[in-house]
Amino acid sequence: MTAETAPLLCLLMVAAYLAGAAGALAPLGPRLTRIVAAAGAIGGAVAGTVLATVVLVGGRPLVVTVPALLSVGGGLALRLDGLGAFFLILVGVVAAPAALYGVGYTAAYQGRYSLRWLGAMLNLFLLTMSLVVLADNALTFLLTWEAMSLTSYFLVMTEHERADTVAAGSWYLAMTHVGLALILTAFVLLIPPDGGASFAELRGAAATASPALRGLVFVLAVLGFGGKAGLVPLHVWLPRAHPAAPSHVSALMSGVMVKLGVYGILRLALDLLGVGPAWWGALLIGLGAASALIGVLYALMEDDLKRLLAYSTVENVGLVFIGVGAGLLFVSLREPAAAVLALAAALYHAVNHGVFKGLLFLGAGSVAHATGSRDMNRLGGLIRTLPWTAACFLVGALSIGGLPPFNGFVSEWLLFQSLLPAIGSTAPLVAPVMTLAVGALALTAGLAAAAFVKAFGITFLALPRSAEAGAAHEAPLTMRLAMVILAVLCALLGLGAALILPVLGGIVAGHAGLPRLAPPLTAGPLLLPPGGAASMSPSLVAIGLLLAMGGAWLAVRLLAARGLRVGETWGCGRLGQTPRMEYTSTAYAEPLRRVFAELYRPTEDLAIEVHPESRYFVQSIAYRSEIVPWFERYLYAPLVGRIAAWAARARVIQSGSAHAYLAYLVVALLALLAISLAWSG
Amino acid sequence: MDTLFARLVVLESSAALILGLVLLWRRGVPAYVSAFTWQSIVLAATAATVGWFGHHGELYVVAALLVLVKGIAIPRLLGRMERRFATQRELAPYVNTATSLVVAGLLVLFGHAVMRPVVAASELPTRAAMPLAMGLVLVSLFVVVSRKKALTQVVGFLMLENGIALLALLGAYGVPLLVELGVFLDALMGFLVMQIFVYRIQETFETIDVDQLDRLRH
Repeated sequence: MTAETAPLLCLLMVAAYLAGAAGALAPLGPRLTRIVAAAGAIGGAVAGTVLATVVLVGGRPLVVTVPALLSVGGGLALRLDGLGAFFLILVGVVAAPAALYGVGYTAAYQGRYSLRWLGAMLNLFLLTMSLVVLADNALTFLLTWEAMSLTSYFLVMTEHERADTVAAGSWYLAMTHVGLALILTAFVLLIPPDGGASFAELRGAAATASPALRGLVFVLAVLGFGGKAGLVPLHVWLPRAHPAAPSHVSALMSGVMVKLGVYGILRLALDLLGVGPAWWGALLIGLGAASALIGVLYALMEDDLKRLLAYSTVENVGLVFIGVGAGLLFVSLREPAAAVLALAAALYHAVNHGVFKGLLFLGAGSVAHATGSRDMNRLGGLIRTLPWTAACFLVGALSIGGLPPFNGFVSEWLLFQSLLPAIGSTAPLVAPVMTLAVGALALTAGLAAAAFVKAFGITFLALPRSAEAGAAHEAPLTMRLAMVILAVLCALLGLGAALILPVLGGIVAGHAGLPRLAPPLTAGPLLLPPGGAASMSPSLVAIGLLLAMGGAWLAVRLLAARGLRVGETWGCGRLGQTPRMEYTSTAYAEPLRRVFAELYRPTEDLAIEVHPESRYFVQSIAYRSEIVPWFERYLYAPLVGRIAAWAARARVIQSGSAHAYLAYLVVALLALLAISLAWSG
Repeated sequence: MDTLFARLVVLESSAALILGLVLLWRRGVPAYVSAFTWQSIVLAATAATVGWFGHHGELYVVAALLVLVKGIAIPRLLGRMERRFATQRELAPYVNTATSLVVAGLLVLFGHAVMRPVVAASELPTRAAMPLAMGLVLVSLFVVVSRKKALTQVVGFLMLENGIALLALLGAYGVPLLVELGVFLDALMGFLVMQIFVYRIQETFETIDVDQLDRLRH
């Protein structure tokens, strides 16, 4: 496979997605529609991954331009460099299992929702995501970005009969359009008055722009791309829209699409703007730390499995942004080795999160598919009926909880190693920022582990809490296969860290004044962060763990008393225990609800009904507890109210008279003519 | 450069403008229809004139089409609509006749002012007539805004179309034939849609007074 095959592969990728979309719309039977849509998506994903690998290995970017198409904005321009190739691999690696999963998962949609449009939109969504990372001028980028937003909106709206889906879609649409407006403004500000909008020209224009303009462009990009990535406080659409979509789409949105927000910031800040002042990095670290903490704290309180995962996405994006921010900070401090490590750690966590969050969403979808419920207080005991799903979900939970030898452990360890040396930095403001970031990272990692103990434990262990959970059935083969693929990837990305890290270092090297040759980050199987005091080998850790577990198993076998005793769980002396006495999701989170009461401000509502004869005979107890949705109530509600008030005021011009509307047109025309007359003198 | 060509197009454009002003001081729809018919024929004559002196053979085709579509077909349809709403006349426009004529005069002046840079830059023998065409465009717009009956507005819109066609003829010796054909089709389609709307308004509100439409506001 040589670099000459790259344009062919690119064509193949686009053709496969388009064929998948067209095939899904063709009048085939529902079963064939599902298969054709998945085949197109898998073909496109595989071609995209191979294409990105060819570009990464060959080291030569792919350039495809079609000036005749969209000629106003410089034509359609595609260019795939290392950074784009990395994100293209992320798209492909999650998209192929998700599409495979969709074959079995969407069978339940048959007859209720349009399988044809779902399949077509899925293919178009994947195509536009792939093209976003290929775009090489402002117009191509903005068009594909908007197409990606719109196709994902349609996918979110799949179950359009549900009121909460419609509300989620509206939130998403509003937020994504505000984001597009900000991104558009950022690009327009960068375009030189007498030049084109290709990324090469923007790069040249950014180098000579005033610091104030560069700062403005950066802030606009952070707000615009941060909204898509789910940075606090722009995250509010994410816990609504991601759970509302079909689970394989949730996996793609949470695993991949939010990462394209990260890509956007990297492309704009690192590639186009180049070296920036230190506050850029500090701003990203601050937003990232806030997102990580707030995301995980809200995830802990969720009882809805998919919403928990969505909040956890906010958390993980925050972690990625801590790494990106640290990278930008080191770039402006002229510490290239530390910058390469931080950025590589951020990229590593981005791909890891894509894989394990994809896996977890697929697992949650399989739970919902089997039981019809996402409320953890109604689940439980699924490890016996859904063994495959449970095992895969456990791998995902271990990965996201940052436990060795899985991938989450490696990237979080690398993030720590990139931040820790800077605590001793003498540059102003760096030491406190880094100290706070390390603190936030540590607290987040611990709370995330707690959240996923809850997610796995309450859902899969103990006894079923409802009849539906008891009657669950294992997912079909395609769904299981997709989850197993992602679970294996979680392990491989952890074990193969020593091979992957240098590649990631090579991707960020050469941008923004970083040396073209990345510093060595590994030595044999050892990860060796430059300047750090620590080194670690995930593969050796895994071997050690395996040996320790084997030893423990042997010790138990040899030393423990023979024979298994089966006995009743102690129920404080009460007889007749039922699943209702189990720990619930709400109960598990109760201690943390108290610890962080200042944030949650929980309102509790306890209603006890007693027997009319004696108040000692309780008939029913109803308990409800809600936490304050700070952002919705104190940020968005006033904002939306203000906008609605302005809109009502603007309604004055809607008189209802057709003549008035026509008069507006004529007056506007005459005014424009008069202005142009005055202008020309 | 006061050639016969220039004099002819100024004469024809003036005639088109004056026929456009008819809508402002006559009250009966039959008068509007005949004004529009004559205006379309004058427009066709202009096309033929430009074709003859400018050596553009295809403008004869345009002239023939103008006579067919705007001189015969549309007036017929207008006549049929008029007979259907025979009792409804433009009795109370928003702006009375005297004021309307003053406003129209001001609009024609404004048209002259707007077109002055174009006329100054142009070398064409037809340039002196261009402000008149612009005046016709603005006056037709004013008719559409100030008159209440849907039928009057339709005629105003058609005259607006004529003004734009006239401007294209004078400023660029006509647009390519293909575009011209498209515009004809567009005008015809627009007219048919408007006809349907007028019938629906009549059915719903039992009048074609457009100012009754504000009942649709919610």
